[in-house]
Formats: sequence, C-alpha cells, structure tokens
Amino acid sequence: MAEGTLAKLARIRGGELSAAENVASALERIQELDRRINSFIELNPNALAEAEAVDRKIKRGERVGKLAGLTIGVKSNINVAGLRATCASRTLQNYVSPYDAEVIKRIRAEDGIIIGMNNMDEFACGSSGETSAFGPTDNPAAPGHIPGGSSSGGAAAIAARLCDLCLGTDTGGSIRNPASHCGIVGLKPTYGLVPRQGLIDLGMSLDQIGPLSADVAGTALLLETIAGRSDNECIMLNVDRVNYSELLREKSLKGMRIGISEKFSELTDPAIMKVIDGQIEKLRDLGAEIVEVDLPNLERGLSAYYLIVSVEFFSGTRKFDGRKYGRRIEDVCGEEVLRRILRGRYISQKEYRGKFYQRALQVRTLVRRELLAAFERVDVIVGPTVPKLPHRLGTKITPMEMYAYDYLTVPANLAGICAGVVNAGRVNGIPVGLQVQGRVLGEPEVLRVMQALEAAG
Amino acid sequence: MNIKIGFEVHQQIATRRKMYCNCPTNYQDVPPNTNVCPICTGMPGAKPLPPNQRAVEAAVEIALMLGCRVYTNQTIYIQRKHYDYPDLPSGYQRTSLPLAGGGSLLGVRIREIHLEEDPGQYDPLGGNVDYNRSGIPLVEIVTEPDMKSPEEARNFLRALVRVLEYTGKVRPEAGGAMRADVNISLEGGGRVEVKNVNSIKGAYRALRYEVIRQREKLKRGLSVERETRAFLESQMVTVPMRVKETEEDYRYIPDPDIFPLILDEGWVEKIRERMAEPPHLRESRLISEYKITRAAAEVIVSERELADLYEAVAREVDPKLVAIWFRTRLKKVLNYMKLRAADIKFTPAQLAGLLRMVRDRQLTPEQGELVLRELAKHPAEPEKIIARLGLFPIKREELLPIIARAIEENQKAVEDYRSGKEEAINFLTGKVLQLTGRRADPREITRLLIEKIGKK
Amino acid sequence: MGERLREIERSAEEIIQTFLKSTENLPEMKETYYSLEAYNVVRPDGEPSPEEERRKFRERFLSIMPRSDEKGNLRVEVATWLKER
Repeated sequence: MAEGTLAKLARIRGGELSAAENVASALERIQELDRRINSFIELNPNALAEAEAVDRKIKRGERVGKLAGLTIGVKSNINVAGLRATCASRTLQNYVSPYDAEVIKRIRAEDGIIIGMNNMDEFACGSSGETSAFGPTDNPAAPGHIPGGSSSGGAAAIAARLCDLCLGTDTGGSIRNPASHCGIVGLKPTYGLVPRQGLIDLGMSLDQIGPLSADVAGTALLLETIAGRSDNECIMLNVDRVNYSELLREKSLKGMRIGISEKFSELTDPAIMKVIDGQIEKLRDLGAEIVEVDLPNLERGLSAYYLIVSVEFFSGTRKFDGRKYGRRIEDVCGEEVLRRILRGRYISQKEYRGKFYQRALQVRTLVRRELLAAFERVDVIVGPTVPKLPHRLGTKITPMEMYAYDYLTVPANLAGICAGVVNAGRVNGIPVGLQVQGRVLGEPEVLRVMQALEAAG
Repeated sequence: MNIKIGFEVHQQIATRRKMYCNCPTNYQDVPPNTNVCPICTGMPGAKPLPPNQRAVEAAVEIALMLGCRVYTNQTIYIQRKHYDYPDLPSGYQRTSLPLAGGGSLLGVRIREIHLEEDPGQYDPLGGNVDYNRSGIPLVEIVTEPDMKSPEEARNFLRALVRVLEYTGKVRPEAGGAMRADVNISLEGGGRVEVKNVNSIKGAYRALRYEVIRQREKLKRGLSVERETRAFLESQMVTVPMRVKETEEDYRYIPDPDIFPLILDEGWVEKIRERMAEPPHLRESRLISEYKITRAAAEVIVSERELADLYEAVAREVDPKLVAIWFRTRLKKVLNYMKLRAADIKFTPAQLAGLLRMVRDRQLTPEQGELVLRELAKHPAEPEKIIARLGLFPIKREELLPIIARAIEENQKAVEDYRSGKEEAINFLTGKVLQLTGRRADPREITRLLIEKIGKK
Repeated sequence: MGERLREIERSAEEIIQTFLKSTENLPEMKETYYSLEAYNVVRPDGEPSPEEERRKFRERFLSIMPRSDEKGNLRVEVATWLKER
C-alpha cells in the first residue's frame, strides 16, 4: 500500500525525506515508466532547484507551505511561466507561458513543486485521452484501456505514482471521468470557487480547475490551496479560504442524507451499477440516510452541454489566429477540436441563436433547477461517474458514442455544483469510480463521504 | 437633394487604468507594447478584471449630458463582438449593451450610448501592431441619421466635443482620442459608411467628398451601393474597403467572464446631481438669467471653466458688461496667448476688480485690455499691474495741451479733416493716443479734437 | 481535404439533431447564462500596475512573438485591401 499524501508531507516536514529526494525519485519513475504511459508532455527543468530551496527553508527552521516538497503535475491548459502550455495541440506546441496562472501562484506560495505539464485531450475536447497531438495516454490501472479525459495525463500520472498530486480541469467531467477510469480520487469544485485566471478556455461558464490525487486527503489539501476569493478576475465566489483538511477530521456520516436516483440505473451499465450499489450499502452501514431523489431531465443535459460548450469554445479560440503566438488553430488542430469550432460557429449565428444557444441555456435552467431542488432534501447525491466502462485504446467509436461517456458528469457542470470521485471497485479488473455530487460550496460534505468510502474500501 | 448623415462616435474615457486590466493608459508616451499584460494582449487563458468603475460612471454622465434616458433596473450584459483583425488581441471586442438612449443635441437624436474597449493600434501599411492602446475604455455614441449637410454634421461634432469636455472625464480630442464612423446616404442611394475618421476636420472633408462622389454617380444613372469605405486623410478621399474586412455576423454572446451591470436609479441621480451643467443648457440659462446676447453666451460656454469664471465675475459686476468683455477682449487675449480657460491663473475677484475700474472710467477699455493681458501672464491685483505699467488715466488738464500739440504738428491732417476727409480724425486720434502713452480714451480724444479743430 | 471537412461538419450536426429532438416538447423558460449570479462587480480606477511587473511580462511577450521589430511592435500582415490599390 503506497504512502498517503499526509504521511509523506509529514516526513518531508520532519526532515526524514528531503524535497529534493522526492523530486529526484519522481523524475526517475517518470523516466522509467512514462514512455509507455505518456502522461507528461514536458518536465520542469527547475524542479530539483526549487525542491532544494524548500529543503533549505526546512533546514533553517523556517515556515514552509502546506504542499512543502510535494510534486505536482499540471494539466497542459494551465499557464506555468517558462513551461509550454500546449493544450496538447500543434496550435500551441511551442507556446512558452509568459505568466503564471493564479492557481500556480498559490501552489508556489505553499511550496509545492511543479514537476511538469501533463498530457490531455487536445484543448480539453475529449473524454478518452486519445486525441492529444503528442500521442495517447495509457491507463496504468487498466493497461491497454483509455485513461479517460480530458485530464488523462494527470489521472494516469497519479495512478502510476509518478507524482504526488495533479491539477486537472473539468468542464463536462474531465477530472471525474479519468479519476473513475484510473481508480483514483478527483474533484470538480463548485463553479467560481477556484480562480480561472491563466486557464486556457474550453467553456468559460463551465470550466473549473480541480485536484487529482491518490487519496482524499491529497485532494482536500490541494483544493484548499487553490480555492477561495481572488481579486484578479471577475467571475468568482466571494468566499474565504476553507481548511478542508481540518474539516475532514469529522469522520462520521451519521445523520447525513444521501440521495440516489433510479435515473442512474436507467443510463448505466448494470455491472457498474452493481459496484456502486455495493458502496451505497456501505454508506447505509455507516449511518447515513439513503433518500430517493427525482432527476427526470438529467439526460437532457448532455446535448445542451455540447451546444453551450461549442459556442463558448468557438468564442474562446478566436484568439488563436497565429499572429501573436502559436499557429492558427483551424489550420492544425485535430478532428474533435475542429468539430466543436464548426459547431459553435454554426449555432452562434444570429439567425440560430434563439433556436440553439438560447434554448440550450434554457435546458441548463431546467437541469440546474432539478439538482438544486434535490439538495433541499439531501446533503449529497451519489451514483456512478460514467455510464459505461472505458474502451480499449484505439477502438474506433463515433463522436456520439464518445459524448455518451459524459451523461452523468455534465449535469454538475451545468448546475455549477461540486462533485468528487472516489474508487468504488472494479469490473473485470477495470476501475469504477463513484461520484459524490454536492450543493454549491458543499465540498466539505462531499469530501467527508468520499473519505468514509475510502476508509471503508 | 435629401442627405442623411449619422455618426457612431468612439471617445476615449480618461482613466488611469484600462477597462479590464490595471495597465496604465498613457499609450502615446511609451515605447510599443509597454503598457501591456496578459489580459490586454489576449494571452491564452487570460481573464478580464472587473470593469473600470470610473468608465461606467463617465458613460452614464455623458448620457445624462446628452439628455438621454439611462436604462436603470435592466440587465446590461457586456458582450463579445467577434471579428478577425490584427489589432483585436482576443478575436473579439468587449462591448456593452446600450446603457442609455433617446437623447438629443442640436436637434440630432442620440440613439444609444454604450461602453467598449479600444483595440490595439494597427498600422496597415507597415504591418505593425502595438497593444498599448488595447483595452482603453471607450464610450460609443450613436446618432440617428438626422444631419442634412456636412456643415450641420461638423457643427454637431463640435457641439458634441464640447459636451464631452464639459464632463472632464474624457481624453482631450487631439491625437485620436475621438474617432467616428460616418454614415451618409443621398436620396436614391444606399448607405455608405466611412470608418474610423479621427478628426472633426476629417469628418467634414470625408462628407463633402462623399456628397460629391455619390451625387455624381446618381447623376450618371449609376447606383450607389451600400458599402463601407475608408478615409485616406492625406489624400482627402474615401476608398472602398474589401468586403471581407467588413462583412460580419458578430456572433454576439454575453461575455461569460464578466458579470452584467444593473444601473441603480438612485446612483444615476447622484451622478446627475454631481455633474457639470451641460453646455447647451447652460447657454440658454445664461441668456435668460443674465440677459446677455446669444453670441456672447456661445463664446462663454465654449469652455466650462470660462463659463464658471463668467458667472463668478458676473456676480460682482454688471453681467452685460462682463459678457461683452468675455466675448471680445478676454477671448482675444486667451487666443493670442494660446491659453485654455482651464489654464487661467488669475482669480474671478481680480478680473472683477479690473472690470469695475473700467466701468468707473478709472481706466479706458484699451488700457483694461493691456492689464488683462498682463493679468493672464502674471496674475496679481489689478491695482498693482496698473501701477507697474504706469497706466494712470490721464487727466483732462494733461490732455488738452497734448491735443493742441498734435493739431500743431499735423496741420495736413487737420486740413484734410476740414476739407471733408473723415478718416483724418482717426489719424489724429492715433497720434494723440501715442503721445499720451495710451492713457486716454480714444473716444474722448476724438471728441476733444473735433471740438478744438472746429473752433479754429 | 474538403471531404474531411464535410464529414466533420456532418458529424458536428448530429448532437444538434439530438438536442432538437430532446427539447421538442419542452416549455420555454428563462436562460441561464452564468453559473454564478452577481451584478455590478466593478473595479475602482486608481494606481496602474507596477512597471517592474510589466517589464517582465513584456520581455516574455516579445520572446514568443513570431515576428517583431526593434521597437517592440508585433509584426503581422499588411492590409490586403491597401495592397491592391
């Protein structure tokens, strides 16, 4: 059983393990294993030097940050000054970030060491990890299968223990989907909780940056580092930092109302549901109250999501004209990226706005209303993360079949609520993740349920 | 022939920070791409900061000045207007829905007012882009096509500039702070838009060129198509722009990265209370309140500080006299010294003191003007200036001998006057004036001369 | 190339068709543009950003430009509608 995040942190703080050693062994493992997994696009040449600086602080008895010496992978759509935020695309393959994203500033302030830029689906347009211009990523927990996407590299790196924590992004499930397929922990925070300054857009009203880790403690730790009010952008919740790790000291689920919906069984592979149901029983045993909730319009969310995200992605990619940096996106991008740009361009035309874009925004109202109503009766909603098992790498599937992976994850993005994933078991050796959805700013409850399942696991 | 002219005026608002980032706004003073950051250069992942509050206030104030109704208690989205051009770093421009509308100026209806951001500066001939200007707040003022001639259009623009300057919240007109898209159609022809004219003079010339060009075409039986043209200032002609640069479905969407505005009525009222009185309204009030002529009022309100000075002085001295002085001698002095009213350093009390002396005949008007010039250069109490210039008015006893002397020394002129040449008296008056060191009133001199010459 | 494009366009439309079908009988309702509801979030005008910060950014910005001139201008295409004159 590999070492937990907090245990390792304690060893680094206590001087038992140096940050430099931690970085060196990560680099060694990456060197050894990543050629086959392909979870990193670029490594940080300064990682060792940064780690040594942290070690010096520790030796001098100075205060070090929450993430002291831990190695952190960053998804390639987040700006890290001096490294390439390629978005796994030929459009930005040589784009060296001229600035740090806000979350990177916060990680650095807490002495986390950025070990490198993770592979991903190109411009986050995917749910499999196969569309990167730098080659597909393998699933270390189910070799030969997709790791999921679009935060494919981050999830794979955690699964293979190549680094301690990863930053992913989630627009329609892109943290949760790979967390499920790779058997690890991931969380999409409440929309507006984590600053997006420096995140290269997929869908501006949907994107959130969030943690991927081997354990719930790691997710809580990374979340509290990056979350909370920022003066450096407009769309943010005006909330203080919350110490989620502290709140996780509360372990009991007694009295917690946990929602389940038969809609999930309707949409999901029975083998997956069996594993999920097993976990729900555990929750019952732990003293939680299981309540049925109604989510009659849940599956309508999928197509509405794809219309909205296409319009926003079209808008966000207009800057990739090749003049200031990179190349003109339409000239060099992959199929799915082009598909979304063309779709977005089409439906945002003046004459179609009402029929498509605005109508999709109405469906969003519906999905949101339903979920928020459910939270009047329950504290969290649990269920499967994906409706079907991950396919084998290279399997030819249609775009619609690919989109279908997202049925259960897009509703949380449309509603702006938070949702986390923790491993629930396996089907034919392939990991299955259980999704815990919470209300706006409901991360403490979500994490608590995830922690309980992890402990019971 | 029926002409319809309308404008879309873009005016830079005077703020220290840009609209969506904290970069400085002095784009003309620094090397290219210096006042820039990831936001105003459209770096991947850059998100806007909340909109500049002063810019929003300025736009509302301008709307009120133009007699518009401000759209309160309505959701006003900041939208993305998408088009492809080298000076637009993100491939879209952030532009608000209208904040106000339904105003008018000089009989021209104001259709709407909204907030925008300036793109960068693109030199199309050199192929250079400088983003220093990118992101500076703009207010856009759209008129109905109510103007019927280039002259009327020019007058409107002048009046508009005056209103904008009255707020004290816009960048001075020079150097492209104000740009206009000019629309013109002649009866029987389509609407032609001339884009990005950056001076009142340029707008006037472009319009005159267009009137001629379109009229000629229509006369020859050709049709004037709806199109967009560019104005080449150096050659004073308009030329067609290629369709690709101008065709557009802008695919507007509310910007998901900026919260919308809802303008509160109470807040708008506070702005209305605080703001300067609009110049056209002030002009009317001055005429009725102080009983001065329109000509004088027009000069007085040409600058807000000038009008402020006028009203302060008119409190102390006869407003009609003050008005005459402002229209003639003060304006002359300011023009001569290339001073704006805002640059004046002397106080209303000092000017009032001077005018009182002129009124009481302690000084001749001409002497008063000399003092005024000195006052503008080196502000001081008028009495001190008079002493310094040695401008004590001449006494009658001193004057008579000088008149006698002038008559003696200029017999020819005297003869000329006697034989009917009226101008000769002016010549003589001038001589006396010289001899008195300009310390006498010319009218008085002339009167005495005529008396004396007549006697002989 | 044209074939590929057409195929991508066609497949792009599929989910639009799914959308239309799934919303056929849905009543009209309010649109949700933002996941967070807030208004009038504005920023006071004041002291601009520190020069040092901008100097650092400018260096990096210039270094990733495909083409620039000595003064620091970004070099892009010349306007084609002028070229033709």
